[in-house]
Amino acid sequence: MERRTFLVRTTGFIMGFIGIVLSIPLVGYLISPAFRRQTRDWAEAGVLGELDIGVPRELTYVVTVQDGWLKTTAMKSVWAVRRPDGEITVFAPLCTHLGCGYHWDSDDRLFKCPCHNSIFDITGKVLSGPAPRPLDRLPLKLDGDRLFVIDKQFKSGTSRQIEL
Amino acid sequence: MRATRAIYQWLDRRLRLKPVEEMLLNEPIPGGASWVYVFGSATLFLFCLQLLTGMFLAVYYAPTPDHAYDSIQFIMSSVAFGAFVRGLHHWGASAMVLAIGLHMLQVYLYGAYKPPREAMWMVGVALFILTLGFAFSGYLLPWDQKAYWATQVGINMVGTIPWIGGDLARIIRGGETLGALTLTRFFALHVLFLPLTTLGLIALHLFILRRIGPAGSFEEKRAAGLSVPKERRHRTASEPFYPRQVFMDAVVMGGVFLIVAVLAAFLPFPLADKADPSDTSFKPIPEWYFLFYYQGLKYVRGPFEPLATWILPAVFYAVLMFLPFIDRSPARHPARRPKAILIGAAFLLGVFGLMAISLQEIYSIPTTDPSVVRGRELYSKLQCNGCHRIHGSGGAVGPDLSYVGKVRDRDWLVRHFDDPSAVVPGSIMPRLAVSPAERDDLTNYMLSLN
Repeated sequence: MERRTFLVRTTGFIMGFIGIVLSIPLVGYLISPAFRRQTRDWAEAGVLGELDIGVPRELTYVVTVQDGWLKTTAMKSVWAVRRPDGEITVFAPLCTHLGCGYHWDSDDRLFKCPCHNSIFDITGKVLSGPAPRPLDRLPLKLDGDRLFVIDKQFKSGTSRQIEL
Repeated sequence: MRATRAIYQWLDRRLRLKPVEEMLLNEPIPGGASWVYVFGSATLFLFCLQLLTGMFLAVYYAPTPDHAYDSIQFIMSSVAFGAFVRGLHHWGASAMVLAIGLHMLQVYLYGAYKPPREAMWMVGVALFILTLGFAFSGYLLPWDQKAYWATQVGINMVGTIPWIGGDLARIIRGGETLGALTLTRFFALHVLFLPLTTLGLIALHLFILRRIGPAGSFEEKRAAGLSVPKERRHRTASEPFYPRQVFMDAVVMGGVFLIVAVLAAFLPFPLADKADPSDTSFKPIPEWYFLFYYQGLKYVRGPFEPLATWILPAVFYAVLMFLPFIDRSPARHPARRPKAILIGAAFLLGVFGLMAISLQEIYSIPTTDPSVVRGRELYSKLQCNGCHRIHGSGGAVGPDLSYVGKVRDRDWLVRHFDDPSAVVPGSIMPRLAVSPAERDDLTNYMLSLN
């Protein structure tokens, strides 16, 4: 190889080396938090004593949300149902159609969404209206009298449940 | 390869790039390319690295006292390569100070600041001052104890300047005390004002270089190509910048980058505790490049203090800036400038002497005693630094141990290690699970801290 060619190629090689060694970490640095799933923890939503058998109740509670380097608190709510056999179900508070907040109609004993009149029974099953799937159930656990849930959000408008 | 050439030719037909390329690469260097001339481009390379890593750090950094520390901690622990990118920025800063220092030293030694290059030198001195401005303003941004207290001391020094000092310190702080307004203005200075000014001055520095040309060798014969055989004369008399000098510059850039990257990967720069304005026990230690100054300040007391805090620095920068007009002899060869070389050497001796004394005082732990060495290893293995601090590193839960050997004796330390709360009622320090021999090692290490 000619001396001049060697100098030119080595110069190019060093520049390329620096470029690659720099760009891989920098790209990883830039995109890594964008694809990180937030870890969701058990949060205490309420105590069993608040739940009467067969009467759904909206439990509101406070969670700490880690938003990048920022820790914020947010109000969350769930609908909890204690059935006669003692089993407890916890529903996400948003209608599966377009994400409106639904409520419990204690006269008709049905969950009703005010936006497009989707109606669900006490087990979350769709009785009428545009809702494409039953109410979303959330994981729960009991520690003595205390009820813990994991807050999750789901895509609205799909017949399959897709977690966000 | 062929595709690149085709694109280049396509562009060349439209933008006439050939003359630009020739102007950039064929600059003649009197006396030929040399490894001695690499420091300027090394400094430029490090500046580019700082620019790049700084932009990426800014992606996640929040310049408010409430969030600055948390956002850096987020970068260090939750962002992929976060500690590495911050490490590059930290070590790159040190490397840049070193590189610009060597660059100035080379220019001084080669008498390259002399006519017709006075303007290039003065712009260079301004760039040096800006670099120190970067170092000072960047140091505050992590908002940890080190950052807070070092900046506090730095600004208070400005306050000692007569008449205008107090107002000047207020302007730098953005108010009466160091706080939110200090952080935002240091941030703006560090990421907008200084980089843009620096880019402009670098452009000017290089423009002057291209108009006047590099100074080259101080040996007139060599610069004229007369000291070498005729057949090689074309190379040394006016060898173009490309490819040999470019090659040398690239090799040094690659080497510098490797060193900075290895340091960043294996010695990431840790955060101290979050800044706590009420914790006045914290004794900040400046970065290595300010150590000589820090040490010098220890020797001046009372009425002489302003001498070190601002008179000497002001004189130094003034002399540096106007050096080409102070040193008027046209001689460039060091052998014919004994006074200049002597003054330069004395200055370096002073700076490095003070730095050595300072380093010695900071790390004044006798390492000859193997028991002390074992004790220090135990100290870090037991993670004592989670609660205790030695010379600025470690937590602030327990007492600062920097000078514990001065205040406690062996008997006290042994009894205390055996059962902390028996000696200090209410102490939350746990009883250590160590053997008596290990306890004695720890005690010896503590006694060595004085």
